[in-house]
Amino acid sequence: MRDEPGGGRIEPAGEALIAAEDVHKQYPGVRALAGVRLELRQGEVHALVGENGAGKSTLIRILSGVSRPDRGMLQWRGKPIKFASPSEARRHGIVAIFQELMIVPDMSVADNVVLGNEPGAGGFYSRREAERRTAAILARLGEGLGIRPHQRAGRLSTAQKQIIEIARALLRRAPVMIMDEPTAALSQQEAQILLRIIRQLRAEGTAILFVSHRLDEVRSIADRITVLRGGARVATLPASSVRSVGELISLMVGRPLSELFPPRNQKIGAVALQVAGLARRGAYADIDFQVRRGEVLGVAGLIGAGRTELMRGLFGADPIDAGAVVKDGRPLSVRRPRDAIRAGIAYLPEDRKTQGLVLSMAAAENIVMASLERCGTAGLVSWRSLQRSARSMAGKVRFRGQLHAQAAHASGGNQQKLVIGKWLLSGADVLVFDEPTRGIDIGAKSEIYRLIHQLAGEGAAVVFVSSELPELVNVCHRIVVMSGGRMHGEFHGPDYDEQRILEAAFAAHVGATAGARAGARAGAAGRAGA
Amino acid sequence: MMQEIPSQPGGPAPASVPEISSAAAEPPAARPPGTGAGTAVNWTRLYGAYGRQIGLPLVVLALVGLFSATSEVFFSVENFRNIGVAAAALAAVSFGQTFAILTAGLDLSVGSTVSLASVVAGFAMRGYGIGAGVAAALATGAAVGLVNGLVITRFKVFPFIATLAMLSIASGLALELSGGVPVTGLPADFGNLAYEVVAGVPVPLLIAIAVLLAAFVILRYTRLGRRIYAVGGNEEAARLSGIQTGAVKLTAYMLSGTCAAVGSLILTARVASGQPALGGTLPLESVAAVVLGGVSIFGGLGSIIGVAFGVLFVSILSNGLNLLNVSSYTQMMVIGGALIVAVALDQALLGKWS
Repeated sequence: MRDEPGGGRIEPAGEALIAAEDVHKQYPGVRALAGVRLELRQGEVHALVGENGAGKSTLIRILSGVSRPDRGMLQWRGKPIKFASPSEARRHGIVAIFQELMIVPDMSVADNVVLGNEPGAGGFYSRREAERRTAAILARLGEGLGIRPHQRAGRLSTAQKQIIEIARALLRRAPVMIMDEPTAALSQQEAQILLRIIRQLRAEGTAILFVSHRLDEVRSIADRITVLRGGARVATLPASSVRSVGELISLMVGRPLSELFPPRNQKIGAVALQVAGLARRGAYADIDFQVRRGEVLGVAGLIGAGRTELMRGLFGADPIDAGAVVKDGRPLSVRRPRDAIRAGIAYLPEDRKTQGLVLSMAAAENIVMASLERCGTAGLVSWRSLQRSARSMAGKVRFRGQLHAQAAHASGGNQQKLVIGKWLLSGADVLVFDEPTRGIDIGAKSEIYRLIHQLAGEGAAVVFVSSELPELVNVCHRIVVMSGGRMHGEFHGPDYDEQRILEAAFAAHVGATAGARAGARAGAAGRAGA
Repeated sequence: MMQEIPSQPGGPAPASVPEISSAAAEPPAARPPGTGAGTAVNWTRLYGAYGRQIGLPLVVLALVGLFSATSEVFFSVENFRNIGVAAAALAAVSFGQTFAILTAGLDLSVGSTVSLASVVAGFAMRGYGIGAGVAAALATGAAVGLVNGLVITRFKVFPFIATLAMLSIASGLALELSGGVPVTGLPADFGNLAYEVVAGVPVPLLIAIAVLLAAFVILRYTRLGRRIYAVGGNEEAARLSGIQTGAVKLTAYMLSGTCAAVGSLILTARVASGQPALGGTLPLESVAAVVLGGVSIFGGLGSIIGVAFGVLFVSILSNGLNLLNVSSYTQMMVIGGALIVAVALDQALLGKWS
């Protein structure tokens, strides 16, 4: 709240519906929110932006009744209020649409839309009425959605599922909608449809809290923008006063971009890893790339582009159908993670909590997890040697938690350092990092970028998968883009054309969605004819 | 006598154990200050840090006090010896059960493994002597565990179902082999073992303590042990760290079966015959002892020391109630109830804490 350009001076049209006043929230090891204020007015689109870990999720969880603040309060139409549960918030008309969509896949679209609000009399459910209401709402949301009320919901695209959630909120006449990264998994065209619907809802008087990482989108749709950093509000400002996306980014990270990213490693060596024709049915196909010692190769793409699947296949975590993996000129047969680890390949999974760490075990034990053989002899574990290895590795990766405490108690950044330490200790020299900075604070991010280039400088080859283009273009020597399970372009740094990378990331979607839509239309025509 | 068991596992850890102790015995790190005020938070924090380690020993002590006050014969060397003998078989089986539960699994087949091993031991002993009988029983237990482990890891059958089915299979096999009647004619020396006392300690109790020490060393000082915790704590992370999770689980079930066979030998010696219907209550009692002992039913958390106290709790409760002339039927209800109360309390306290 140091600088607040324009904050409080703007007067949007409507009445304030829901407001958070000086809200605090502490989680074990993390100060998630420290005195945040946010006000959502009728008929405005209010964007909430910030780095991962800035407190956005916590704030929307509090606003939607999922969690309760430790300190501070919520106000509903100017009066203090406490939500005991999400359903209580929903009764007041606050509907949150989270990234994990609440859709029952085996039920029809109409069943889903009226779920918990089923029409009918005497305990009976009127499917006809449900479908009528659903059709009416879908019609109100406009043309070209390609959703029919009696369709099975599980077969819909992500965008269509989101529209079902919006329809559900409309059925309840919810005056407040909170959308958590609604466009993250959508193609450009789908996102356009969603943004059109959001504008329409605003015109009808709905208050919309719009959380997004796509800052250009934020600038185009929002009336006001609130920036969070490290659990505190940095600014609330009218979107019209924001001159560039860069301005938003420096508000989000709190420093000029140049300080965040280390200089790139300059010593590039021989090819360490080469992948040729790698394929797995339904996930990815025809994957070719190589990475050299000392090089940091970025892998860009949208969520669902097949990047994680590819990396897991390469590491032996999932089977592959075809293709070759060559390390230092030697072809490998990787059937399970063990084979890859023996060959010196490490995979830092995208979700450190469910895949990277055993949270119930001590931090030190997590560091030695992949190299227990080296801590003792003949099947026995020497705690002294385990401790020694863990301590020296913890120093190298700048782990600042407690080594003997459960990994669950370390902060996100420190947890990630444990996983990195685990792989360094195993002696890996091809390091695949899948979203290594997701959900950690900006300081820890910067340290991880530095660590990546330090390791590259020591001769490691690094593959860096990320959904955040800014970090890829500032960290990587080279970027390959995946879209729809295939490689769609390769870009060489340090001066990247971000627009072209984005276009490559959407490449598969442009064709595919157009095709799907044509198919849906043909199907509808067929039905009409019958 | 009472000190025999606690003195082994009692202290927090032997002096040789370095600062980094297992997650199991480790109190969680100090919480960040200022997460909230009020005494409730302090209580739950205290419980989170130490409750699982000291809660049960305190309850066991309270039980001892209660029964000492209400029964004249309870607090005596003779009775403690009885408790030790009665607890020995349950202890061996429960220590084995601990391996299965730590991998986030379960072994419901321990009871019928005990019957089957007893019958096999009876035949082998009658024909070829005590040594052959012991070896045959242990091999039987390991084999049952191997089959359990293969079914669970290769065919992806849930441990609950796999070992429930094995409960039926092993029990049927025991009855089939024996024709439903006890296998008699065992060497007299074997039966006498159950009642021999070495240095004041009954042999069955010594055997249970040996199993305890072995399990302690395996879980704490071997790679296998650390991998059992890792697989139970987060199987996917363990697999991605290059751990062969299938092999680890398979070994855990083999250890469970082998420990059940040890328990079977203790019981077989006590009745001096191979019994095809031995140990029917052991699945419940062993799971009760393990869970009461603070091992997470979701795997990855807990210590063998806690399980030893869980066994003591079940055995002392049963002994004391016997002395108070409470029927064994009522005892069944009490033990079931205690299990529910303990887990519910744990959930309530941990729930508030996290």
